[in-house]
Amino acid sequence: MPTIKSKSINKFNITTYMSMYCRPTWRRLNYVITSLILALFIFTTSSAQTPEEKGEKLFKANCSSCHALNKKVVGPALSGVEGRVPQPAEAWLLKWIKNSSAVIKSGDAYANKIFNENNKSVMPNQAVSDDEIKSILAYIKNPPVDKTAQVVVDPNAATNGSGENAGASSNLYMYVLAILFVVLIVVFTGMRKNLEKLVREKQGLPQVAPKPFAGEYSFAALWYWMRTHKKWVAVITLVLVGYFSQWAWYTMKDIGVYTNYKPEQPIAFSHKIHAGQNGINCQYCHSGVEKSKVANVPSANVCMNCHKYIQEGAITGKKEIAKIYAALGYDPDKQTYSGVTTPIKWVRVHNLPDHVYFNHSQHVKVGKIECTQCHGEIAKMDTVRQFSPLTMGWCIECHRKTEVKMEGNAYYDELHAKLKAKYKGEPITVSKMGGLECGKCHY
Amino acid sequence: MSNKKYWRSLEDLNDSPELIKKAQNEFAEPIPMDEFLGSEGVSTNSTPRRDFLKFLGFSVTAATLAACETPVRKVVPYVIKPEEITVGVSNWYATTFANGHDYCEVLVKTREGRPIKIEGNKFSKVTGGGTNARTQASVLSLYDEARFKKPMKGNAETSWSTLDKEVVSQLSQIASAGGQVRLLTSTITSPSTRQVIAEFTAKYPTAKHITYDAISFHGVRLANMSSFGKAVIPTYHFEKSEVIVSFGADFLNAWLSPIEYAKQYGSTRKLNEEKKSMSRHYQFETLMSVTGANADYRVGLKPSQLNNALVNLYNEIAKKSGSATLSSKASPADKEIVKAANDLWNAKGKSLVVSGSNDKDFQTICNAINAMLGSYGNTIDLENHSNFHQGNDEEVASLIQEMKEGKVGALFMNNVNPVYSMPSTWGFEAAMSKVALTVSFDDRPNETTEKCKYVATGTHFLESWGDASPKPAHFALIQPTIYPIFDARQMEQSLLMWSGSTTSYQDYVKSVWQKSVYTLQSDESNFETWWMTSLHDGVRVFSTAAAANVTFAGDLSTASSNLIKASTGGEFEVTFYENAIGDGSMSNNPWLHELPDAITKVVWDNYITMSPKQMIALGYSIEREQEAKSDVAEVVINGTSMKLPVYPQPGQPEGTIGIAMGYGRKVGGKLFVNKDVLDNNVLGGANIFPALTYTNGSLHYMNSSVTIKKTSDQYILASTQTHHTMMGRNMVKETNLLAWQKDKAAGNERETFKVKEHGKHVEKSAEELDLWATEKNPGFDRPGHFWNLSIDLNSCIGCGNCIVSCQAENNVSVVGKDEVRRTREMHWLRIDRYYSSDRAHSRKPEDGKIKMYHELEVPSENPEVVFQPVMCQHCNHAPCETVCPVIATTHSSEGLNQMTYNRCVGTKYCANNCPYKVRRFNWFNYHNNAQFDYVTNNELSKLVLNPDVTVRSRGVMEKCSMCVQRIQEGKLSAKRDGRRLKDGDVETACAQSCPTNAITFGDANLKDSKVAVAKKDERMYTMLDELDTQPSVFYLTKVRNNETAGAHHEETSKPAHHEA
Repeated sequence: MPTIKSKSINKFNITTYMSMYCRPTWRRLNYVITSLILALFIFTTSSAQTPEEKGEKLFKANCSSCHALNKKVVGPALSGVEGRVPQPAEAWLLKWIKNSSAVIKSGDAYANKIFNENNKSVMPNQAVSDDEIKSILAYIKNPPVDKTAQVVVDPNAATNGSGENAGASSNLYMYVLAILFVVLIVVFTGMRKNLEKLVREKQGLPQVAPKPFAGEYSFAALWYWMRTHKKWVAVITLVLVGYFSQWAWYTMKDIGVYTNYKPEQPIAFSHKIHAGQNGINCQYCHSGVEKSKVANVPSANVCMNCHKYIQEGAITGKKEIAKIYAALGYDPDKQTYSGVTTPIKWVRVHNLPDHVYFNHSQHVKVGKIECTQCHGEIAKMDTVRQFSPLTMGWCIECHRKTEVKMEGNAYYDELHAKLKAKYKGEPITVSKMGGLECGKCHY
Repeated sequence: MSNKKYWRSLEDLNDSPELIKKAQNEFAEPIPMDEFLGSEGVSTNSTPRRDFLKFLGFSVTAATLAACETPVRKVVPYVIKPEEITVGVSNWYATTFANGHDYCEVLVKTREGRPIKIEGNKFSKVTGGGTNARTQASVLSLYDEARFKKPMKGNAETSWSTLDKEVVSQLSQIASAGGQVRLLTSTITSPSTRQVIAEFTAKYPTAKHITYDAISFHGVRLANMSSFGKAVIPTYHFEKSEVIVSFGADFLNAWLSPIEYAKQYGSTRKLNEEKKSMSRHYQFETLMSVTGANADYRVGLKPSQLNNALVNLYNEIAKKSGSATLSSKASPADKEIVKAANDLWNAKGKSLVVSGSNDKDFQTICNAINAMLGSYGNTIDLENHSNFHQGNDEEVASLIQEMKEGKVGALFMNNVNPVYSMPSTWGFEAAMSKVALTVSFDDRPNETTEKCKYVATGTHFLESWGDASPKPAHFALIQPTIYPIFDARQMEQSLLMWSGSTTSYQDYVKSVWQKSVYTLQSDESNFETWWMTSLHDGVRVFSTAAAANVTFAGDLSTASSNLIKASTGGEFEVTFYENAIGDGSMSNNPWLHELPDAITKVVWDNYITMSPKQMIALGYSIEREQEAKSDVAEVVINGTSMKLPVYPQPGQPEGTIGIAMGYGRKVGGKLFVNKDVLDNNVLGGANIFPALTYTNGSLHYMNSSVTIKKTSDQYILASTQTHHTMMGRNMVKETNLLAWQKDKAAGNERETFKVKEHGKHVEKSAEELDLWATEKNPGFDRPGHFWNLSIDLNSCIGCGNCIVSCQAENNVSVVGKDEVRRTREMHWLRIDRYYSSDRAHSRKPEDGKIKMYHELEVPSENPEVVFQPVMCQHCNHAPCETVCPVIATTHSSEGLNQMTYNRCVGTKYCANNCPYKVRRFNWFNYHNNAQFDYVTNNELSKLVLNPDVTVRSRGVMEKCSMCVQRIQEGKLSAKRDGRRLKDGDVETACAQSCPTNAITFGDANLKDSKVAVAKKDERMYTMLDELDTQPSVFYLTKVRNNETAGAHHEETSKPAHHEA
């Protein structure tokens, strides 16, 4: 809908523009076309949010801790909910979502049925507007294709496997080149020998008989060969040295780089299930990511928001969830806490040296970078692995090409104006604002 | 258990000497190093070079590869995260540092629940956001390994239930038998604690509370009692004083409430477009104190001569006011006294006379002078008085008498260490042995807890609840910033329990505030809201009645005759003074020991200060080189003898010595154990408290008759500044007020160079001769922020608080005395102290330059002193940056000189090329190193480290970063909120804690920021501007309100003309 609307506005723009200032010179037209493209760009990027998309965001923020679309979490699966509830569905759901206990009290049969089916746990009243509920319902009715759903079948799909190796393709080139050289050498040597043979034939000289080895196949024989074939020796040595240097170069460069590091964790927590299938927002657990330098590993009480109710997992059953209870000293049967807590010692996957200062909020909140850009498709990983190399070169590369998102942030206003004047139309990247200076990360 | 003996061989069984010898070596056989290293052995020096290189290569490779393996790191989240904590973000809490001796209202920065930094609370009307070194260092005392881990019985750990049971049963027995119960504490200003004590005394009617301060100001109270009928310490208003005369009161560093006074005094020393006059400060004193060093006129007098000088000042003022004069004797300072009297009288009502003496008579005369000058009601306030220093020496003396007589059955002590800090004539230790039940509430061992029957282990103030009332209408809260680290319980809670109450002290404080503080206001009707705001702000100040003028009713004639009687001293007179160590209660704090004394710049020791002239006459060495040893003297004061090294102190009159208090602790921490590698016979200073005299109702911190004898012993003192004067260089620029009023740029001459231009000699400044800045390239671009630091030399008092603040903020290592002696201290910020020198005017040309420099180094007899804080100057043409071979030190687009530790390979070229000598090299790993067992060698003390700042390792250079972590944090928080960065959003640690606001930090590109304004001031200069390093740190010239300033070194520091 909004796309259509935006197009009509553009049309209006261009027609009114042309009718009012109609001097169809090329320059004008250029101007018009540019503004048209610009307007299109702005409209499609900024305002084209469908109710489904809006609903998805709202769903993840408000509902996903207790509901999933196709699976019972705390509350029932919501797919097809509008078909199940008393009609008119939308009106009933509006009432229910805003104040479920009132609906139950009113004696509504379906409400009571649902209530009893779900261990009589009351669905808390949601502070969402009618429009927002409608967006959520639109999302439930018509969810975007879940890319993760297709991978679910294979639990090992997200293991590191071959892993991407940046050096692989360049290595291949080197090998091809080397083979090419060897082939060339062989061909040229053969040609030379043939030519020599021909010359001798022509001049009537006797053909050189190949010298026999002085002894048996021994070290001495090899030595003899090496002395008589110095060029071959040189070539082979060169190739070997080259190969070894290359190997050493890449091996050394990877010392201390732990891309694909995938340690086993004390609890077999699966991001694929939580972030992927259940679609829980990253920030629900990693709540520090917009406020702090660390995204923070959630404390066990955050797990309990859901796992108070979900006591059994799809893959590991009760075994892994029981570890959360053990850490908290929680008895799921009696629903009591013993007060004795044992911290969970997770293995840190992303390690930066102590002399590097990295701040998540700078990148996520201010820089508006998606989590996946550095952490990869976490939602597809059962066990999290290190996606990016986390080397300084990797940081620098990104700082060189990433443009700073200054619009709408009053902090940058004055600086933006000055930098715009200085760089005259060039994109203002992080590096142009001093993002490559040592003291930005090392202090 | 059987008596079997096991042995491995006969030699073993027989303890053969050969075997014992072998067993002591790690390897039984000598390691065949010769064979290993070369055919002819090491001894014949023939390890072939190639072999050596092989070994070297192998070991380097092996070490490198071994280092490649990254250990598995764990991340342990909270099990249940407290709501207010966001991991990685600091929380701030307002609380109050009040230990009886010091008082400061503070904000505590905590990270993940542990306090790591203390800053001043700007809401405070007493300390106003300033701190002192001890306040800054108190956070480290929290993490002191020496603290009691549990309650103690004798010297063994016990449980609280046992202790409670035993103490209560013994206490009730003693009380029912009519035995006296005494509670001996340091000054308590807390209304809640006072109420707790009242409950305790209600339960045990024989109980009595006695206040004792190691450093007493009881004489001031006595004098005010006799003069005005009020036994109080008044509130002094230095900020309202145009003329200040101090008789030995070190009010900027030690006297009564130094942070408060420094703040006030600092405001009178500011000069700018709006404020064109400043206070005039006379100091008559014996030792060179921090306050004296800041004075416009300073006269060195013996303690006995001070008596005459004071009476003479009285007479001068009396003549003007028409009052009767007193009989008097002449003093060497009479010329200055007359001048001071004129100034005081001219500024009547806006003048102030203070005295540092704890003698009632001395203070009485001082009160009389102030009364004649109309200071009461103007610059002195007796109504809204100070509640500090309530120690009552007379009561303490009679308590000891009672104890000796066996009348006292139980003695409870909190925050006092009388075994260490009382005069030996009082015989406290012997008296204590006659008390059946002795209980201490201290949180760490000291000389007294060692002798106590029980220690009801108390808490550090950062673990406690409480409140304080520094003035009658001023209330401050103390709230915990961390759960007690050890099994401790604060005194108030113990007393409440022993009085039979079950309330927690937290609730108790709250109820006291609800009853007595909340009711003082009517703006807020909801107590809970009001209480939360109080906790947030930390302070509640209510308006009070204006100070009233009072009539002096003291006995002047007795006082003056007593003073005149005491005005003849012996051959030597001693004055005891206080430096950063304070009263010694925080002596186990390495930050305080490493902080150089503000004047002598000596660390880790106390010593005898003496006039250099007299030292030469008496044969003491005054050499101050790195390896120079000081001669040790034996001094006998009041029957107590001690051996201390003698250190020269210019400005001190002949016939006087000075010794710092608070040293010579023996119990209570690893710092008191002899660790000196120099094999000296006097160690870690001496305790002078036993030598105090108790006369005239109060303890006296001077003695007019001491004997001093040179011994053959020698001792090495570590000093951070071996040069005393500027040696003719032009680092500090100064002028006097009159000159400044005429010309704002007075004293701020720029260095010029003679150059030949078009065949003519012209003078050009270094800036004009810059090689780098051309018309095409006008210098570096600073489009965003341009961080600058301004230091006003006029209001810097040299207290050294910023050094500790910087140390706490930036994880600066403590290196210990021996390393400081080798000039390897790590402080990023130092305060240079310069004396003016009398350069010999009769120097003949044939004497040569060497002789001239020697003469330059000798300070004048009564030198003028200047302090200059020096940190990395963040030069925009930095000499260090151009010489680094690995580009480890670079410049940022915001004007910061950045130091990248991980890039540094330790060539030290940068330090060699730095004209300001601000770079510090890590000669060792100062963490996890038993050789430096100060802060970062144990897990507990490491908790004080700032997690946002790298702990530097061996082999790298470090220096002031202008608190880049704070800059980055300030910027980021503005970016997150989408707002512009305001002036004051970012403050460096030094600027934040400065009590006089001498240091200002900010963005010079931000219009009208404080630092941008200061940069335009005509007093602004950069250090060594002839080098054209274009520092981001700049200074404002020192202006003295006298006639002589600058005169001393005008000759030596006249802008030199260099031949270019």
